[in-house]
Amino acid sequence: MTDQPLFEARNITKTFGPVRALNDVSLTLFPGEVHSIIGENGAGKSTLMNIVCGRLRPTEGQLFVNGAEVQFHSPLEAQTHGIAIAPQEINLVPHLSVAENILLGAQRGRAAAIDWKATVRDATHYLHEVDNSIDPRARVTSLSKAQQQLVQIARAAATQARIIIFDEPTAMLTYRETEMLMDYIRRITAEGRSAFYISHRLDEVRDLSHRITALRDGVHVGCIGPEEATREKMVTMMAGRPAKVGGHSLRDMSDRPTVLEVRNLSRDHEFEDVSFDLREGEILGVSGLIGSGRTELAKCLFGATRARSGAVRLDGKDVAFHAPIDAIQAGLIYLPEERKQEGIFPLLSIAENTALPTIDRFGGLLTIRNREMMEEVGKLAAQLKAKFNSLRDPITSLSGGNQQKFIIARWLMRDARVLIMDEPTRGIDVNAKLEIQTVLRRLTEERGLSIILISSEMEELLDVADRILVMHEGELKGIVDRRDATQEGLLELAMS
Amino acid sequence: MDTPLTETPARREKSLMARFWQWEASGILVALVVLTVALSIAADNFLSSYNMTVVARQAAFVGLVALGQTLVLLVGGIDLSVGAAAGLSAIVGSIALTQWGIHPYLIIPFTMGFGFLLGSINGVFVAGLRLNPFIVTLATWEIFAGMTLVITKGYPIRPLGEKFTVFGQGELFGVPLPVLIFILLAAVLVWMLRQTRLGRNIFAVGGNRDAAVLAGIRVGRVEFVAYGMAGMLAALAGILFASRMDAGQPSVGEGWLMGAITAAILGGTSLRGGQGSIVGTVLGALLLAVLANGTVLMNVSGFWQRVIVGCVVLVAVLVDLLRRKD
Ligand SMILES: Nc1ncnc2c1ncn2[C@@H]1O[C@H](COP(=O)(O)OP(=O)(O)OP(=O)(O)O)[C@@H](O)[C@H]1O
Ligand SMILES: [Mg+2]
Repeated sequence: MTDQPLFEARNITKTFGPVRALNDVSLTLFPGEVHSIIGENGAGKSTLMNIVCGRLRPTEGQLFVNGAEVQFHSPLEAQTHGIAIAPQEINLVPHLSVAENILLGAQRGRAAAIDWKATVRDATHYLHEVDNSIDPRARVTSLSKAQQQLVQIARAAATQARIIIFDEPTAMLTYRETEMLMDYIRRITAEGRSAFYISHRLDEVRDLSHRITALRDGVHVGCIGPEEATREKMVTMMAGRPAKVGGHSLRDMSDRPTVLEVRNLSRDHEFEDVSFDLREGEILGVSGLIGSGRTELAKCLFGATRARSGAVRLDGKDVAFHAPIDAIQAGLIYLPEERKQEGIFPLLSIAENTALPTIDRFGGLLTIRNREMMEEVGKLAAQLKAKFNSLRDPITSLSGGNQQKFIIARWLMRDARVLIMDEPTRGIDVNAKLEIQTVLRRLTEERGLSIILISSEMEELLDVADRILVMHEGELKGIVDRRDATQEGLLELAMS
Repeated sequence: MDTPLTETPARREKSLMARFWQWEASGILVALVVLTVALSIAADNFLSSYNMTVVARQAAFVGLVALGQTLVLLVGGIDLSVGAAAGLSAIVGSIALTQWGIHPYLIIPFTMGFGFLLGSINGVFVAGLRLNPFIVTLATWEIFAGMTLVITKGYPIRPLGEKFTVFGQGELFGVPLPVLIFILLAAVLVWMLRQTRLGRNIFAVGGNRDAAVLAGIRVGRVEFVAYGMAGMLAALAGILFASRMDAGQPSVGEGWLMGAITAAILGGTSLRGGQGSIVGTVLGALLLAVLANGTVLMNVSGFWQRVIVGCVVLVAVLVDLLRRKD
């Protein structure tokens, strides 16, 4: 590494009205370096990166590329200085092909005569560096969220930028894609390109980075090398206090009554012949790689799609849900995987977003009993350690992870028998993740709630689930007791 | 391992039929064929070459306006001022011809330039200042329509002279010139949307504005051009119509707005932007013309025509819904 940083941000401050998202933050990036930014939800990581890539302008502070001061008025200007971002939220043009999204605005050939062959060829090249299983001619809408995330990364790569920003690229990825992405980042940095990397998965951060900077409440708290970066050290920097330990005690649920029985459930192209029992007060983890049919199974159980064959029994009675409302009335709840598209109402406030499905409870004679609603939402927010300015602010003003917490809070406000959660802790910081796991565990004990917990993070399942169901390519491969489960064992089972 | 782990369970090659149904304009093509067959059986003069010319010419004027509207819809906007822009442009073009002595052959390019200017006004407010296109173009609609009346005081400008009326009235190989111009421009736009970067950027901006910004596309410029072209194409339709009538009527363009939007929507263009096609719009304009012509041939009262068009639009939307369901 040379002395001259490729990029430098000096004394950056950013305010959103009264909110100070970043306060006097400085950092540098050298050629060939992976510089990770860690911090709790709402610490200001995305805000900082959005300033680096020209999506936002700093309130105060300066940016330098190769020692010369620059000002970015748009992402385009940042791109001409060789900076590109793969953002935290999916941001693709849904009805165009994968290839065209990768080379959006940069199709090959002349401006007045696009060379489609070359365009698809080049796009495929960039795509395959990141992942080789996605069809470059497919429409974006036909891809899973994880695949869309990979396309987004390929797009950042295709700009040939010298600096690529990865804002939580692995939040949606499972084991195999994550490994491929790590390899890819190592490859490009070996070529002398550099990366900013954001993730809540601390092992990844330690393995990949040359330097790690921690932010807390918009303030730079320190910068360490990977050799110092123990898990405890990183969590302490992020949270300002030592790490808690995860892992809940083993429970024996075999004598509990069965709440939900699923028998030979099948749906064309999605999953085949799935059977399992869910017991009262149990947390049943669901593990699997991308394309395993986990989400599809959850949606089908919830009545969002119809099964081709098979039976579902709730408390011993056959049920057939034609629409989610039937499932909700029967006591099922589903927390969807993709919060931006299926989870939030962008124009409503945080409180309204949280209380909307249960708003009847706060119905007064003519109006909503607002104070009560606020109190209840506030209580849950505190439990989940959500960070916000006012509950009346629009939900879009929250950081990604905090939006997720309020969506979880939404479902905790209602009484139910079965809670199906699809990647509930995706993009949520370490401490809050443990907090959420504790809340889930408490719900099963206090309310006798049964939970189906879909998660790509095996550690999480191994920490909190009572049994773990493994799926692969639409097939149920087996159900393992946590007592007997290990990470390797689960992977092996998935691929058997 | 030879099979990639992330393969979705069963992705099969789609059949030709399935691919046809995926196409946005498939429904309208079927509707158009059915309607044509039905009318040619019910009314024996429907397929006569004279009647076909009438239908084609009718489709051409609204169709030209609809092409521009399609571009604006594709970038995620809407232009309510196209009809009024056509009217005002036709008047200004007629005045340029009769009073300013501009050569008859230059009148059409001149008027198109003027129309682009009118469209640019929308472009500045919508693309530059990020105002709501519905409100902006509602306002300019009033302004353009009002200006037409201010300038003409309600009287037509005539005659326009034979040297100029040839563009609206003339034929080449038995095909009316306006129809040829319509087909030619549609072909140019098909090419533009498919093969040029500007065309692809139009889809990108309408499909996901944020993504387009991030990809370094000059989003404002793309929107601006779309509005400008909508104004330009409306002006072309207006001046051709004046040429055909041998008069710059203040009423040119009345009713074209609904026709243009309807044709685009029938052709599968989404009001939310990013989805649609020129071929669909051309078919939509044809369908509207065939419907209008059919009601006349079948001796249905003209008053019913609007009711029928409304019903057709509802059916088209329903078919589209079913198509997207599977
Ligand atoms: N447009 C906005 N308006 C108001 N406040 C905002 C806006 N964008 C971000 N903030 C606030 O700035 C702070 C930092 O947000 P940021 O998105 O940078 O967090 P983050 O570190 O990326 O968190 P996460 O891990 O959840 O993605 C948060 O408190 C957030 O509420
Ligand atoms: Mg973030």
